[in-house]
Amino acid sequence: MDRIQKLEKEINNLRKALQEKESELFEMKRNWMPVHPNNNLNQEDAAQLQQHNLKNVTKVYYGDKLPKWAIERYSRQILLPDIGVQGQEKLCAAKVLVVGAGGLGCPASVYLAGAGVGEIGIVDYDSVDLTNIHRQILHTERDQNTSKAESAADTLRSINSHIKITPYTVQLDSNNALGIASRYDVILDCSDNVPTRYLLNDVCAIAKKPLISGSALKMEGQLTVYGYRADRNHNEKDLSHQGPCYRCVFPNPPPAEAVGSCSANGVAGPVPGVIGALQALEAIKLIVGQTHEKLLVGRLLIFDGEDVTFRTVKLRPRNSQCAACSESPTITRLVDYEAFCKAQAKEKDLDLQILSPEYRITASQLEEQLKKLILEVDSNQKERHLLVDVRSEAEFNMCRIDGAVNYPIDQFRGDKVDEILRMVNDKNQVTFVCRRGNDSQIAAKMVIDLIDEEHKGNVKDLVGGLHAWSDSVDRDFPIY
Amino acid sequence: MAASVKLHLQFGGGAELLFDKIKKREIELPALKKYFPDCQHDKWNIRDLLVWIKDNLLRERPELFLQGDSVRPGILVLINDADWELYGELDYELQDNDTIMFISTLHGG
Repeated sequence: MDRIQKLEKEINNLRKALQEKESELFEMKRNWMPVHPNNNLNQEDAAQLQQHNLKNVTKVYYGDKLPKWAIERYSRQILLPDIGVQGQEKLCAAKVLVVGAGGLGCPASVYLAGAGVGEIGIVDYDSVDLTNIHRQILHTERDQNTSKAESAADTLRSINSHIKITPYTVQLDSNNALGIASRYDVILDCSDNVPTRYLLNDVCAIAKKPLISGSALKMEGQLTVYGYRADRNHNEKDLSHQGPCYRCVFPNPPPAEAVGSCSANGVAGPVPGVIGALQALEAIKLIVGQTHEKLLVGRLLIFDGEDVTFRTVKLRPRNSQCAACSESPTITRLVDYEAFCKAQAKEKDLDLQILSPEYRITASQLEEQLKKLILEVDSNQKERHLLVDVRSEAEFNMCRIDGAVNYPIDQFRGDKVDEILRMVNDKNQVTFVCRRGNDSQIAAKMVIDLIDEEHKGNVKDLVGGLHAWSDSVDRDFPIY
Repeated sequence: MAASVKLHLQFGGGAELLFDKIKKREIELPALKKYFPDCQHDKWNIRDLLVWIKDNLLRERPELFLQGDSVRPGILVLINDADWELYGELDYELQDNDTIMFISTLHGG
């Protein structure tokens, strides 16, 4: 054990030393970057930069600003007529904010960093969990429990030391969002919840920035560009063209119970990979000045990994009465988006209190009752204790308490409820379980509301669900 | 009397979960007056279609699909791959072989 602890300590120190050396190298290399017109450098620094750059440019003049290393490094994309030297200069001067360092944000920022986008900000309040890694490709096993934004920034720096990466380990909200977003030219919505999507839309409407919005769940993904304004692009023929914003298309948020999440519904890793990569492509095209016909402006891409179809559908135009992006918006400052959406901006565990305490038992109590029951069965008593697991079939197949039966909450009504009612009426004890103890309360309440008064006491719900079971009864039970 | 109408119905983004997880369906609507004898108009529109869907396909939890006589917020209706707002939404008159798609918007990432 001593040896292990010693090694862990040594590795941590080495890692720290490596990080210090890397940031030293980064600072040195940064002074060799092309001069950005937008850089807030004082004159002395700028002159010094210019000097460095001049030294780094060989006799043949490659472009206005790009030094030799940049021409070489980015040559494969500079070769494209769609990008070219001018496009690369714009990329090197561009600042992109990626909101969410998850399944979308990771692949999106990898390609932006690779493409030499001058500054990338990456926002995420959360820390790396082992269940993230199958899709969140910037994080590794050793990054577990560290800040996602920091972990992503570290990997991005290792991909490109010539660009500036700024991690923001914060929950984006109405107080900080405008301050952060206003430092950037383009915003990528790689978030995982409805309130943040409305927040980002309004931020972009107020700050007049384009929003490249991606989303993914299970086997499907969606992508579009919101809030595009042609007057910021000199290549546009019609400078008055403006694409719709999120609120133009979805003025009202969906009911919270209709919104799925990766942790509840699952997601195939490559699906956000596809969408995140395409978000980066749209950002690159937008930065180099492609016009709205070529961008996903006013169009929504729908990807279905199940049968591998990509489909692009036409969205409605910008709403001239839109609350956020019209000429006379009613939203002139950010509001409370969690209240507006009646949902949390964190994909965090809800802790519902639907049932009163007498209908709830703890994991340890449940274990005791089950043990007692085994003794009773041995002594030929008729009474049974039924464990009703209301998670989805896929979750039930993944792991379950021995002897539990599966009644998925989605289909828990009608005949299914009647079956349970019959069992309770036959004097069986029924305990509902689910992953965290929320759905199980809903199911238990349905039964309690229907059952005769005398049997109500036989219906229980496991507090904290299978997570609690794993914590206090069976350490080998997987927490997912 | 107007004849029956054949449609391609498609569900996606999770909306298919309310319809036995079937993403694509071919349906044939009877003549409108046969289905709604008291109806004041002759041709099927999206409003009528939503009622037909509720009666024939949507067995459970209609509130996750419908709100009032329209679809709930967060479901995008597409008529032949274009936002239904471009075609008059509920009042659009269905044509033979139209593809009507109901896409639930995703928010995960």
